[in-house]
Amino acid sequence: MFYQADQIYPVQEDTLLLKKAILEEIKLNDNVLEIGTGNAEVALSIVGKVRSLIVTDINPHAVIHAKKHGLDAIRADLTAPFKCCFSLIVFNLPYLPTDKNERIDDWLEFALDGGPDGRRVFYRFLPSLSRVLALGGRLLLLISSLTGLEEVLNALFKEGYSVEVLLSEKLPGEELYVIRGVYDKKKSVK
Amino acid sequence: MRRSLLDIICCPVCKGDLQLEVEEENPEEIICGKLTCKACNVDYPIEEGIPNLLPRI
Repeated sequence: MFYQADQIYPVQEDTLLLKKAILEEIKLNDNVLEIGTGNAEVALSIVGKVRSLIVTDINPHAVIHAKKHGLDAIRADLTAPFKCCFSLIVFNLPYLPTDKNERIDDWLEFALDGGPDGRRVFYRFLPSLSRVLALGGRLLLLISSLTGLEEVLNALFKEGYSVEVLLSEKLPGEELYVIRGVYDKKKSVK
Repeated sequence: MRRSLLDIICCPVCKGDLQLEVEEENPEEIICGKLTCKACNVDYPIEEGIPNLLPRI
């Protein structure tokens, strides 16, 4: 079971900010799904602190890396192969606005490329989220100011999530945000 | 993959149930085998303990 470490998104400021958020958020009875686990740093930080933990990635190198570290790893596209119900879903979104001529065509691409506006993966992810999140379940989503904070918060609100910015961190040229959303169907304004 | 994961996974395309066929298993988990969606007539492989549930149609 070999994989190339250079084909996995390395631990960066966004990884560490999301790790800080999840350590504050988790409860002992949480059933957690991490989408796009990458280097698995976030998931590994909560092993043994929650009831269950499953990680996914579209990148074969990342799922093998996660599996080698003892995690329940599934190769998957976003939420596609899951039934209800997770109480906490964590996702370090591929959030960078990326033009066609900036694409690099390797596995790291999937970790970074958010399409022309940075929100392409988010808009693909959002409609499927309520299928796999328990009522009252929470979402921790990492995005950047380059992705458009207002647009992401509004889209989540319209789908029935109570939203807040849990943590933020200023970096050169951008600001990172961990958005916390709580799924509450009654608040849907569709 | 651990057998208990079967309760929470489904076909990534039609969301129907998956049928497990085991080729190799140890006391902890399934090492090698496949997950079949009969409705879509598609097999999803399990290799080295990792199910590959990327949509394939």
